[in-house]
Amino acid sequence: MQTNWLVEIVKRSENGPFMKEPDFEMALAKRTAELVREYGLKFDPQVPIPSDDDMADRLYQAGLDLFVEMGVYNQTTERCIKFTRDETEEIVGTALNAVVLGTGKDAVVMRHRGVESDIPCVVHSGPTGTPCTERYHPLILLSCAQEPLVDCLGAGSVSTYMGQAIIPGSPTEILGARRDAAVAREAVRKAGRPGMHINDVAVPLTCAGKMAAIDQDSGLRTSDAVLVSQMVELKTDYDQLSRVAHLKSVGMHIVDLMTPLIGGLGGGAEGTAVVTIACHILGVVLYSASYHMMSHTHLRWVNNTDRMGLWMQSMVAQALSRNTPIVLLNDIYTVSGPGTAELLWEVAAGAVTGTVSGMNQQGAGTTGGFNADHTTGLEARFIAEVAHASLGLTREEANGYALEFLKHYEDTFDNPNRGYPFPELYDEETVEPKEQWLEIYHEVRDAIIALGLDLDGGWRKVRHG
Amino acid sequence: MAEITEQLRAELSEALRQGDADKAEALTRQALDGGADPLEVIQGIIVPALTEVGQLFQEFKIFLPELMLAGEAAKRATAILEEAIAASGQASASLGTVVIGTVENDVHDIGKNIVSTLLSSHGFKVVDLGRDVAPSAFLDAALKEQADIVAMSSLMTTTRPSQRSTINLFKEVGEREKFKIIVGGGSVNQQWADEIGADGYAADAAAAVELCKSLIQVS
Repeated sequence: MQTNWLVEIVKRSENGPFMKEPDFEMALAKRTAELVREYGLKFDPQVPIPSDDDMADRLYQAGLDLFVEMGVYNQTTERCIKFTRDETEEIVGTALNAVVLGTGKDAVVMRHRGVESDIPCVVHSGPTGTPCTERYHPLILLSCAQEPLVDCLGAGSVSTYMGQAIIPGSPTEILGARRDAAVAREAVRKAGRPGMHINDVAVPLTCAGKMAAIDQDSGLRTSDAVLVSQMVELKTDYDQLSRVAHLKSVGMHIVDLMTPLIGGLGGGAEGTAVVTIACHILGVVLYSASYHMMSHTHLRWVNNTDRMGLWMQSMVAQALSRNTPIVLLNDIYTVSGPGTAELLWEVAAGAVTGTVSGMNQQGAGTTGGFNADHTTGLEARFIAEVAHASLGLTREEANGYALEFLKHYEDTFDNPNRGYPFPELYDEETVEPKEQWLEIYHEVRDAIIALGLDLDGGWRKVRHG
Repeated sequence: MAEITEQLRAELSEALRQGDADKAEALTRQALDGGADPLEVIQGIIVPALTEVGQLFQEFKIFLPELMLAGEAAKRATAILEEAIAASGQASASLGTVVIGTVENDVHDIGKNIVSTLLSSHGFKVVDLGRDVAPSAFLDAALKEQADIVAMSSLMTTTRPSQRSTINLFKEVGEREKFKIIVGGGSVNQQWADEIGADGYAADAAAAVELCKSLIQVS
């Protein structure tokens, strides 16, 4: 059994088959289309949460084939890093199936959950993918960290440092990364949850910037995590792999971030699902990730709450749950913004889909990331409530709920309701949601309870048995 | 110049839509051998076929692989036709030259690639500088290629300031007025474009094509 994989990965990066990037992309697109046909994968818009175990297994095999045949493209060396099927299966087989996140009383165990599992979801929150301003970033993080049903916090991204645009690779990137990590640390302290797991500081784009966020006293600790990204599709580079080297050395959690595009190189929902399976395998084999964040989005709307996005989330989660031990995390992206009913219906669809299919929960990336400060802790609470209430549902039952939820927002994709920025929805002094946002929350909550989902009992059962 | 038969017109159009580059190339040669006007092949067959493909992509009825294949087929056919145009001494069929790239420190290039493909298929000469393009590289390429338009993409709010830096560099060296500069990408909107003094903003690839067409007409 090979153990020093990073050295081997560099060796293969230097000596693997040479390919120009556009040729790799075209080859990947063509092979993916063939695999969709060979394995008989079929997206049905009426069934965003399929109950087809055999298709889930076929999807996994298609993704494994793609990974083994294409390898991973290293943009730095313009070579493909290849692994044999045996190597891949061995590494995937020995991957972690549970990780401890955070410390002390605030620590949680995030697990490989399985399809229709009764293991509760761990719930991550924070302004994922939604940029924040320096002014409101501390309040937004606090609004998330203080939510009782939220287990982990993402620090998000602020694009300025003391009013000046952060330039990647410059001192402002280092300062911004350290500032955002300190703000996140302060948010969890202020919330009375100092050991809460922080899952990354998103502003830095370089390895140096990411590493600058690590600071045992006032930044990210080894009980926290840093994201290592993949480039679409199935690509990495030495900057990302260098992050892995350092994070592994200091014993820090690595989060495998993938951002597959529905409608992109993988084609439609089926092909993008195949690519996404291969992306997860990349995260296991090359990044040794503690957990895997699946941030797939629709190429045009930049969300994953449409029918294709939900189907993909469900099928990929089912395929990986049935065929690997890895720990999965969805990343709910919406077109709508906070202060709107549509946002809550969108995240509810994402949460019910992910829960029955085997994922843990992360959210929400609102407004497709277009509107700054359009993110609050209340939608994270709602994700947790829906996820916990969905425990014990069958996929068929969950599919019924998803179809109901879709009715409330899918007509808005071309003209989304982006909602309101944080200060219009939360009291800046008390950091509590204002009445207008709470009213909408209760309205949608009551509507979902009326549909039969026990939002009151679900989380109580998770917390108190 | 000889008329192109309806059958050849239909077959070439279909080969382009299907992204069959080998067939498109063979049919293009057949058209030229039959005495067809290369400009007519471009304007009458390739541009309409690729416009249709672009529209289907915009409506999400087809996806990026199909668009890429059609774009590649059109590129190969157009190269043959451009050669024939040059040999006959006719003026180029190009609508104009666009230098395009994703800005410095930004490695996200899918959106830029889509814009690039659609611009090519609509008759623009596209010089694609790739991703992580420094301001000086945009300037050098714009001057070297005698570009009409410089197009910059940025996905992230942390990289979009490079669009401003690039425009500022064009101003500093006194070359700003020679080019139309347009911006796009996930982190960009009209307000940002106005703020940094760009000549235009497009929200998606189809809008980028229309923007370039309108800018070429007014320039």
